[in-house]
Amino acid sequence: MKPQLTNTGASPAGTVQTKQSLYNSYADKLLGYIFEVVKSKPVAEQYLVDIFNQLQFADIQSISKPGVNTFCQLQMIARKKLAAFTTSFEECADTDVKPNGAVIHNNKFVALMGPEQQHVFCGLHYHGKSTAMLAAELKKPQEEIRRILKESFNIIRNQRNDTATVHR
Amino acid sequence: MIQQQYIDSGILEAYVTGSATEAEVQELMYMKAQYPEINFALQQLELDMEHIAHQMAVAPPERTWDKISDTIDELILRPDYDPKHYTQDREDNNYQNFKQTGNGSQFIEVESESSHMKVHKSWKWIFAGVFVLGKIFLACAIYFYLENRQARLQINDLKTELRQLKK
Repeated sequence: MKPQLTNTGASPAGTVQTKQSLYNSYADKLLGYIFEVVKSKPVAEQYLVDIFNQLQFADIQSISKPGVNTFCQLQMIARKKLAAFTTSFEECADTDVKPNGAVIHNNKFVALMGPEQQHVFCGLHYHGKSTAMLAAELKKPQEEIRRILKESFNIIRNQRNDTATVHR
Repeated sequence: MIQQQYIDSGILEAYVTGSATEAEVQELMYMKAQYPEINFALQQLELDMEHIAHQMAVAPPERTWDKISDTIDELILRPDYDPKHYTQDREDNNYQNFKQTGNGSQFIEVESESSHMKVHKSWKWIFAGVFVLGKIFLACAIYFYLENRQARLQINDLKTELRQLKK
């Protein structure tokens, strides 16, 4: 069940409460994502603090609207903030590659993907690479990169459904 | 069907991973508003993303929220520096150009917040010196008081002896 955010208005105290509500609901997921990108807990924590500090009341309103996935919007804000980091560390994937090609550790979804799917998914999601960049790296057209990305999401979806069935 | 072709194109996946171009994002926003199937597909992908994040979640240290709330507190306490508070009148001194509006003080009252004061560490030695000197003066004062009392007693004895001799 999705957590219900309490939006208590534009007053500073209301903004603090709403921000804390957002923090309580999403900080751990966001920190996990940032940590996978920066690979350092203090750096990831600092990014998390910066993201929440820079959240304005208007931002909070727009990401908490009905029909909007608040976490994904927060992740997009984080992604923009991490853009400089991922650009300067774009070779991170190459240095972190495991024997089976996995670049993100302890991720059961990534572990289920093939090396090419891992490369595309992690390149886009964690390392901020563009489709064009990956197309050049893998010497494949961009449509093919998107097809591979779609396959990666199919794997994630299947795993999610399996987990949901087990917990049901 | 155009909706299914659009969903199959992989643009939705590119959007949720942040790799879609600005034009693609605009197009997706339009398609999402236009076709409920696309909106549903996007919501499912966003749930996938959240599910991955949930699996990879890292609990933030306890002090993390304090860092955020401290900054918020600073922002709330910071006075509102409105350019209108500064007049163009240059005849007066600069501090007089800063006019207060009738809505209370423009400054944070620092003293009222705490009953404690902070001093530089170097004052420790000065306070210690003053304390030692105070003790020395006190000892001297007691010593000279006792000496003085003793001397007066001796004078009184001598006066008594002199009177007895005169008789």
